Amino acid sequence: MDYRNYVIAAYAFFILALLWDFIAPRMRIRQSLHDARRQAAQQDAARQRHSNTSSTNNNELQR
Amino acid sequence: MNRVTRWFHQLGSPPYFDRFAARWAPWLYAVGALVMLWGIWQGLFVVPSDYQQGDSFRILYIHVPSAWMSMAVFGLMAVYAAIALIWRIKLCEILAMACAPIGAWFTLITLVTGSIWGKPMWGTWWDWDPRLTTELILLFLYLGVIGLYHAIDDRRTAARAAALLAIVGVVLLPIIRYSVVWWHSLHQGQTISLFGESKMDASMLPPLWAMVIGTHVWFGGSLLARARADNIRRESGKDWVSRLGREKPAQDASNEPASKGAR
Repeated sequence: MDYRNYVIAAYAFFILALLWDFIAPRMRIRQSLHDARRQAAQQDAARQRHSNTSSTNNNELQR
Repeated sequence: MNRVTRWFHQLGSPPYFDRFAARWAPWLYAVGALVMLWGIWQGLFVVPSDYQQGDSFRILYIHVPSAWMSMAVFGLMAVYAAIALIWRIKLCEILAMACAPIGAWFTLITLVTGSIWGKPMWGTWWDWDPRLTTELILLFLYLGVIGLYHAIDDRRTAARAAALLAIVGVVLLPIIRYSVVWWHSLHQGQTISLFGESKMDASMLPPLWAMVIGTHVWFGGSLLARARADNIRRESGKDWVSRLGREKPAQDASNEPASKGAR
């Protein structure tokens, strides 16, 4: 094939660019969902702490 | 309200759009990739080589569809940007900003593959030819839109500023298109015509059309995936995103009916 190296280089760049175009949004979605999960876990933990504190306070009051 | 109108209204809802994008992006990617694979196979191994350019003309099968996409995506981005500015539709802001990186990639592919083709054919990697120069300016415009969108903290203000740049930038598209007509320079004139007769031999055209269709369908998948990513990021903290995060702990963004949690 004439100019084989040029053709290979051009197609390789095209495929790599499209691969990155495929991977990049998936990485961003994964990161956003990871953040959302962490945020949800923190909220759950805060809620848990709050309910523990209020039940302790109630017990104190009852005594 | 008929079904289509209702569907458009529903699409404006972030959780609904998330479900829509998660469902359709992988299909568009897959169909686009398959069509392009067929085009690449035909373009590399089936179509005969050119009598003057030899095999280097095969670069055209990725260069031309990418060049068309680079301009079409910018046009579409400007349309979304105008809708977002006029009617303040958040989804259109997201879609406009999702167009920018995809268009930038296609522009970069156009410039790089053109340069690789230019070395054996023109004897140089680069020339300040009007077509090449305007395409380079298009890349800078894309980068400007992306940069502006990420430079401002408030997403909506950022999107509006970037949208304005996208609309102004549209003036470049006819200059790119007609640069080979207005200035007879190094870059060849129009060889392939969408509606008229092409100057290429008919046997060389099917892989080109396959690549044109494939890149368009791929773009659809990429647009939905990128818009979905931005949509989730903008909506972080909302209940539906938290549910999505909770219910898909080990899964990547894998886009299968991903957003059951949002229902």
